[in-house]
Amino acid sequence: MELQPIYIQILALVIFTIGLIVALSRRNIFFVLMGIELALNAVNLSFVGFAKTLPADMSVAGQIFPLFLIAVAAAEACVGLALVILIFRNRESVDSDNYSNMKG
Amino acid sequence: MTNLPLWIIPLFPLLGTILLGAIAVISSGSKKGPSEGFVGALSVLFPVISFVCVVLLAFGMPEEGIRETLCNWIDIPMLKVDIGFLFDGLSRVMLLFVTGIGSLIALYSIGYMHGDRGFTRFFAYINLFLFSMIVLVLSDSLLLTFLGWEGVGLCSYLLIGFWNHDLNNCKAANKAFIVNRVGDIGFLLGMLCLATLGGSAILNYEALNKFVEMLIAGGHVELAAPILMIAGLLFFVGCTGKSAQIPLLTWLPDAMAGPTPVSALIHAATMVTSGVYLLARLSRMFVLVPEVLLVILIVGMLTAFWAAVAGLFQNDIKKVLAYSTISQLGYMFMAAGASAFDASIFHVFTHAFFKAALFLGAGAVIHSLAGEQDMRRMGGLIKKTPVTACVMIFAFLAIIGFPGFAGFWSKDLILERLYTNAPFGEFFYFAGLLTAVITAVYMGRLIIMTFFGEYRGSKESEEHIHEAPASMLVPMVILAFGAVFAGYLWADSMGIKFFANTLAPVVGEAQSYSLGAAIHHVNALTFACFGTAAALLGMIIAYVVYGRARIPQISAKESSAPVGSKADWTFFFDYIHEIFITITKAAAFIADMVVDKILQAIQWTVGSIAEIVGDGVSTFQVRKVRVQLTLSLLGVAALVAVVLLTGGLF
Amino acid sequence: MLLHLLVLAPFAAAILMIATSKEDPKSSSRLAFLFGFAFVAMSIALIASGNQATEAIEWFHIPGAKGAVYYYLYSHGLGAWMVFLSSALSLVALMTARNSLDKNYRNFAIGIFALMGAMNGTFLAADAVLFFFFFEAMVFPAAVLIAGFGGKERRKAAMTFAIYTLVGSAPMMVALWYLITLADNSLVLSLAVALQNLDPATQTTLLLCFLLAFLVKTPIFPFHGWQAITYAEAPAPLSAILTGAMSKAGVFGFIAWILPIFPLSMEVVDSMMWLGLVTAIYGALMALRATDGKKLLAFSSMSHLGLAVAGVFSLSESMLPAVLVLLVAHGLSAGAQFYLMGIAERFAGTRDIEQLGGLAARNPVFGSLFGFLAVLSLAVPGTAGFVGEFTVLMSLWDMGPLPALAAGLCLILSATYMLRFVQKVIFGKPAREYEDGKRMTAIEGSSIGVMGVLLLVFGMHPAFITNALQLFDESAVQEMNKLTHPAEDAQTVEASADTTGEAIADENIAAVAQPMTDDDLRQLDSNLKANGFSDEERASLIAQLKNMSESEVADAQEEGALEQNEANVKEASENE
Repeated sequence: MELQPIYIQILALVIFTIGLIVALSRRNIFFVLMGIELALNAVNLSFVGFAKTLPADMSVAGQIFPLFLIAVAAAEACVGLALVILIFRNRESVDSDNYSNMKG
Repeated sequence: MTNLPLWIIPLFPLLGTILLGAIAVISSGSKKGPSEGFVGALSVLFPVISFVCVVLLAFGMPEEGIRETLCNWIDIPMLKVDIGFLFDGLSRVMLLFVTGIGSLIALYSIGYMHGDRGFTRFFAYINLFLFSMIVLVLSDSLLLTFLGWEGVGLCSYLLIGFWNHDLNNCKAANKAFIVNRVGDIGFLLGMLCLATLGGSAILNYEALNKFVEMLIAGGHVELAAPILMIAGLLFFVGCTGKSAQIPLLTWLPDAMAGPTPVSALIHAATMVTSGVYLLARLSRMFVLVPEVLLVILIVGMLTAFWAAVAGLFQNDIKKVLAYSTISQLGYMFMAAGASAFDASIFHVFTHAFFKAALFLGAGAVIHSLAGEQDMRRMGGLIKKTPVTACVMIFAFLAIIGFPGFAGFWSKDLILERLYTNAPFGEFFYFAGLLTAVITAVYMGRLIIMTFFGEYRGSKESEEHIHEAPASMLVPMVILAFGAVFAGYLWADSMGIKFFANTLAPVVGEAQSYSLGAAIHHVNALTFACFGTAAALLGMIIAYVVYGRARIPQISAKESSAPVGSKADWTFFFDYIHEIFITITKAAAFIADMVVDKILQAIQWTVGSIAEIVGDGVSTFQVRKVRVQLTLSLLGVAALVAVVLLTGGLF
Repeated sequence: MLLHLLVLAPFAAAILMIATSKEDPKSSSRLAFLFGFAFVAMSIALIASGNQATEAIEWFHIPGAKGAVYYYLYSHGLGAWMVFLSSALSLVALMTARNSLDKNYRNFAIGIFALMGAMNGTFLAADAVLFFFFFEAMVFPAAVLIAGFGGKERRKAAMTFAIYTLVGSAPMMVALWYLITLADNSLVLSLAVALQNLDPATQTTLLLCFLLAFLVKTPIFPFHGWQAITYAEAPAPLSAILTGAMSKAGVFGFIAWILPIFPLSMEVVDSMMWLGLVTAIYGALMALRATDGKKLLAFSSMSHLGLAVAGVFSLSESMLPAVLVLLVAHGLSAGAQFYLMGIAERFAGTRDIEQLGGLAARNPVFGSLFGFLAVLSLAVPGTAGFVGEFTVLMSLWDMGPLPALAAGLCLILSATYMLRFVQKVIFGKPAREYEDGKRMTAIEGSSIGVMGVLLLVFGMHPAFITNALQLFDESAVQEMNKLTHPAEDAQTVEASADTTGEAIADENIAAVAQPMTDDDLRQLDSNLKANGFSDEERASLIAQLKNMSESEVADAQEEGALEQNEANVKEASENE
């Protein structure tokens, strides 16, 4: 049985939703970061899935793009973790609800 | 000889200013300061060179004068003015005595300012003053004259406040500058007023005269008269400021706070007469509006009388001379008001000699008494300082118009012209004569209180009294000679009219226009007799009242200012000025404490409203980052939904 | 090239300054002086090389607008002189700050360069959006510098300054955006054309929005709330730049943007002029009562700028050179006085003039310089201030004697407060004992002295300034026209370029295109009569003039809407 593109999209959507829910519902800042990472990868998956629907010569673009995204995501994770560590040093807490400096 | 360029005259004092100013600034750090001999020599050298240039030019001057345009100054659509010089009969006379007396007084100052901390600075200012004064009288346009006009005012400010560690001097200086500024605005607006009539081109004297001629030739004087009248009045306001006439005269007595040579040079001989110079320079314009001339005449008369009476009440020797200067300036304005411009300039000329001599003499007296200015602590000085006393007495005879002395010729000429030329001539003549009597009284009082009788100061100070050094005496003696003989340049009753002929090309036409055909022929001798009688009467009164009266000893602390009703008379115009000052202060108070506070209140209200609203909105900022993130995602979703449903915003 | 350098290179310089040492002001100040001198040299070259423009480069599109926003710089006499002021004052600021700020000199220099770049951009931008961009950009470096280096209440001052100016120009942003959606692009010409087609009520609203921004920036009464506290709390070198160069952006905005774009009605012109005069007198009165030296100077600046604005809205023939000279003179003299006040504050430890005094005896060189510059700011003839104020007074006299009298009153008051200031600061005896702070150094003294000498030079030969003046020359107007009407043939472009060029250049189109009214003719007749022309001569001359003006009316009607707009402006001034 051929793998239907729609299944891939459904999977991507599920992963994205899980990532989003994790990011929004967990208080631990590391979980939030993981959730964002998950959502990002879901997008990658979606890219590849759509690329598969195209003829072979054009689908290359869709498959290369996630590679870039992975590189960018790595950089983003780097910066994100560095920030988290700095905040942790200042605040002694990984609870994102404690980060409320911006409020009035 | 005549191919000397004109700009060389102001050039040297300017060089002197820059050089001396540089020396003053550079040496200000050092304790000792530069050598006084060197600085003194420099500071006399530059005015003297100028004087020599003026003399050389004066003798080779053609009848119609020398004109010279140096370069363009301002060139914009509505205003085109050149920097140009005009050397004619009028500026020749003015320049000769400005540079001449300026050089003498610079020489005198070397002795007077000896050992002062600001020795170099003083001479830098003096040179700057001479530069401005030369520009004032040498320029060929009103705007350049205005440069000199404000320049001399500035120097006057700097020199009055020369001893600036004492705030009273600074206040006197500020007063002089601000009162003069009021007059200067009149001058400025007068120029604008003229410019509306004929464009900025007629700010040039020559063009102005041509314009006036055109008006007369075309018979359009009536058309232009209203504007000319406003312009004339505005210029006269400028003159009242600079020449200390009613109502802007309060600054001159206070200006005596400066060093005495400054009072002699600036506040007696030269700067204060620039108002008279301006009237003579613009005589062609002024004679078109006889109403303005009448105003000048009345103001001059009131000033002369008021200041002469005020002079009677003063105890400070320099204040007496200051009020006397104001009174004499009143004479000059009366003459100008009677369209006898040449007589007024002649009085400027003779007055420069005798008043400078009087001031320098007073300076020598103050110098010898170590700074004492109150006449009630003087007396009997003729024995201690005979040369000074002689100089003062000669100048005294000149100022009261004793026959043969300089003042006799010029003052009698003015009185005679008042009688013949002015409307209600008899009235003004008698007012002038009365003032002449008072002049003799207060000057006689000054001489008697200073030089005759017993010395009334403390015993210790009596031993230190000494005659001034030679560098001070020489200029005084030269000026005293001037005070005796300067009048013979125009001895009407002896038939010598040299001075009148010099000025004729400048003011002659104006005067003949004003008088028309009706020239009274009067016997000059009669007037001379009346004048002499007035002088003698004044002297006798002075002798009777002050010569024999015992002047009470006064304590050391008592101030020299007049008190009681005398003070009311003296400070009458100060009280009037006080009203304006109070109004300004009240306006400033309202601006600061009312208007500004209201604006601040509005500002504060707006600010607090914004703050309150901000506080309200910030409660939306829930504490948890996660919730905010959720909300923002929902917002994105809503936006996407809207875009999808409406097909785009744009 | 010069234009690009002047606008962009300061930002580059600011970035380069980061590389220098933060701790050691020696090295960073050397680099800063080098840059400063380079910018002054460039600005002088800009003035000397006359009008010029860069290529118009498409920058970005604003949603809803028809045309692009261009990165398009244009230098005319007015802008070039303002650029000179901003770069020269920045240089002197860098020099005087060297001794006041030891630690953070580098950061100060970075801020100054950023501010200078933004100011230069404001004065050189030919595109309205670009202008607005720089106009707003000026605020941030200035506010940061105030907050970082200011006096005791620096935070409050920085906030007041930033909020006031940003809020003031917010309506202008909306108005500008609205205009751009209607116009072909955001150049002056297209904006003016676009405005033609709006109804008067909208025009007035837009005008008010524009005016508000410039009124706040100048500042004009009653929008001056930010000024005194800002100038007082800012470090003195920055105050000098703020008043000497940045506040000029307001007056510059009136001349370069309001006058060409909006057809001004008589009421607007009149009320603006009176607003300027009220500001002039109000500032002078406030200066009379001020006890804080820097506040006094702030109010004095306000007074002078009020006079400048009144001069602008006199709309007379010589308004432009008059105001330009006044602005340059005020920039130099007020700037120098702020520097000197900063040095006095450093020396005596206070800026309360009641506490100062006797500086002439304690520090004679400083005293001389202080007195010298105070005199220069009094508009004594022979200084540039006099040329400016006299010519402005002349323009105001055209509007009637009352405005001129008000301006004259302001001159008297200016003498009063300035002499009081001088007396309190350098004369008399010090009011209290204090330790002498750092004295004025040679480099500070000489740089301020040079400003004084420049004032004298410009006072004796104002042609240096006025010669540079040609607000819009033909080539640039053609360039703008090409961008405005790309489809039209060269002929019409040429024609309208000529007329607008002249119109905006010297506000004098009426003399060319406005028909002479009967009143004018009668006036002329009497003038001629007064000058002795005979009856026949006069009659023929007047007949000739009538013919000419009639044909001009016909021409003018053909020329269309743009022409009319300019005529309206003129009419306003003419009616007066």
